[in-house]
Amino acid sequence: MDTNKVILGIYNDPDHIYDATKKLIHDGYRVRDVYSPFAIHGMDRVLGIKRSNLTVAAFIFAMLGICLALTLQTYTSYFDWPINIGGKPFLHIPTYIPITFELSILCTAFGMVGCFFAVNRMAWGKNADIIDIRVTDDLFVVAIDIIPNKTDIAELSSLLKNNGAIEIREREFED
Amino acid sequence: MSYESPIRDLLVTGGKTYSDITREVTRPIENKPSKAWWIGFGLSSIVLAIWIFATTYTMLVGIGAWGLNKTVGWAFDITNFVFWVGIGHAGTLISAVLLLFRQKWRMSINRSAEAMTIFAVLCAASFIISHMGRPWVAYWPIPLPNAFGSLWVNFNSPLVWDVFAISTYFSVSLVFWYVGLIPDIATVRDRATSKARKFWYGFFAMGWNGSTKVWHRYEVISLILAAISTPLVLSVHSIVSMDFATSLVPGWHTTIFPPYFVAGAIFSGFGMVLTLLVVAREVLDYKDYITTEHLDAMSRIVMLTGTLVGLAYITEFFVAAYSGVEYEQYAFINRATGPYWWSYWIMMSCNLLAPQVFWSRWARTTPWFLFVMSIIVNIGMWFERFVIIVTSLHRDFLPSSWTMYAPTIVEFSILLGSFGLFFFFFFLFMKFLPSINMAELKSVVKTKHAIELEKHYTELLNNNHKMPIQTQEMKGDSVHGH
Repeated sequence: MDTNKVILGIYNDPDHIYDATKKLIHDGYRVRDVYSPFAIHGMDRVLGIKRSNLTVAAFIFAMLGICLALTLQTYTSYFDWPINIGGKPFLHIPTYIPITFELSILCTAFGMVGCFFAVNRMAWGKNADIIDIRVTDDLFVVAIDIIPNKTDIAELSSLLKNNGAIEIREREFED
Repeated sequence: MSYESPIRDLLVTGGKTYSDITREVTRPIENKPSKAWWIGFGLSSIVLAIWIFATTYTMLVGIGAWGLNKTVGWAFDITNFVFWVGIGHAGTLISAVLLLFRQKWRMSINRSAEAMTIFAVLCAASFIISHMGRPWVAYWPIPLPNAFGSLWVNFNSPLVWDVFAISTYFSVSLVFWYVGLIPDIATVRDRATSKARKFWYGFFAMGWNGSTKVWHRYEVISLILAAISTPLVLSVHSIVSMDFATSLVPGWHTTIFPPYFVAGAIFSGFGMVLTLLVVAREVLDYKDYITTEHLDAMSRIVMLTGTLVGLAYITEFFVAAYSGVEYEQYAFINRATGPYWWSYWIMMSCNLLAPQVFWSRWARTTPWFLFVMSIIVNIGMWFERFVIIVTSLHRDFLPSSWTMYAPTIVEFSILLGSFGLFFFFFFLFMKFLPSINMAELKSVVKTKHAIELEKHYTELLNNNHKMPIQTQEMKGDSVHGH
């Protein structure tokens, strides 16, 4: 990114910010992100966010869980130390189903949530880069990149205002 | 005059705005606890002390401290275990199954129901550990190489399946709960005034900033977590039922057990959710969030699952009669008319008959009555497990070993104490975490813009009608649960 300055348009209504963002993107502004206290329905599509690959990660982890469970059970009860319990077969796949199922769920949940934290760069104790402290309460913020010598700040501000912004600020990002 | 009624009643009443929700849900966290909280917390701490004492005593003395004998080897311990695991089923059911069915009324209650799940499964696990007799080798059911003392575990055994099922259920529920909490923990972090609160809520909020990219991924994983938790809920209690169903004991050896146990688990879980929420909405003043409509919806589920459970009781009887197996028939006749007849009829009346009052709307929406009913459901479901376990065991194939079982004071203390353990954690949860999912609830509160639009369309519609449609007055920023 060749810019680290942004204009913040602050809204108190999710419908207003939805319309404003749509308009901004239509007019060719570079919208960095929209911050909200809850997921605004359809906002991800407006911003052109591609469907997350976390579903694929979930599937891979589920398969991993199944392989792990089947390997564990066949190895221990057939290869390593078969125990004769009431003459039951050593390799008895149907009785492996419950544990295989449980372990696949366990791996999916932990693997997928782990990936979720990793792609979002979330970790315990990490300091949040909060764009506005009220964004986790009741306000909605759209951040637009300022491209030097190109972005007309006055025009942008009036566009934001006209769409119901209650506050407009400038802010610099550290990166 | 025609009358257009809303399809559903409001999910949140009182015309709440987004900041109202934030302020009211974080109120217990940011203020000193109320007197009611201290009384509740103090009482549960005392009862928890009883649990600690009775459990320690059992561990020092051994299982001989209980009333078990050679014929009845499982009684209070496993009854309490199944009872608590069953209660632990409503939380994930509310969050996962109701999410998949898009039941928006779940949003006010899912957080506390999930917390309930986690604490109930903890209580259940404590009974598994203490009934082992030698709790210091409690790691033996984990598959460890033979050098660690035990042989590899027997993967054909439902008891081993149970270890995997319960621990998976506990950890996945915990993850589901925590992921749902992150945006709300961030809300508390951003409102925090004290240093300690800033640090701890900041620590657990993991740097949440409310970006749309993060929200997008968050919704994806919530949906997948719900999708994998749904079969998980069903599998866990099915596996618990297989602890009994795969044995050859008459009264246990029944193929109906898995669905019957799952229905019972949902029934008892919702019973416990009702007990907690009827009280919590009064104490925390959350009547606008947990409305009588929520109570109504939960009571309907209680009635449905109670009737399902009742159907299972009757089916068991029928199958025993129809099978022509003498032992099976005796086990069921002994249940209803034998020495433990009273426990059987407590079960029948609490679980099958009592919930039928929920055909009446008054019963479904009157909080004090619901509280009484929820206690009846809890008692009934405890007795269901007692009936299944003790009456099936106490008269086995050999009449010379027929005997009776009576619990000792130690067993009673552990049962009572487990409620202390449960409520101790629940009170801490109510004090330190947002007990309503704020982020989800805000997304269903109708915005001013949407209300204006709706008014506009209603006017348009009225202008096109000769007879005007009278709509119900909109109350500020309230919601319809379409």
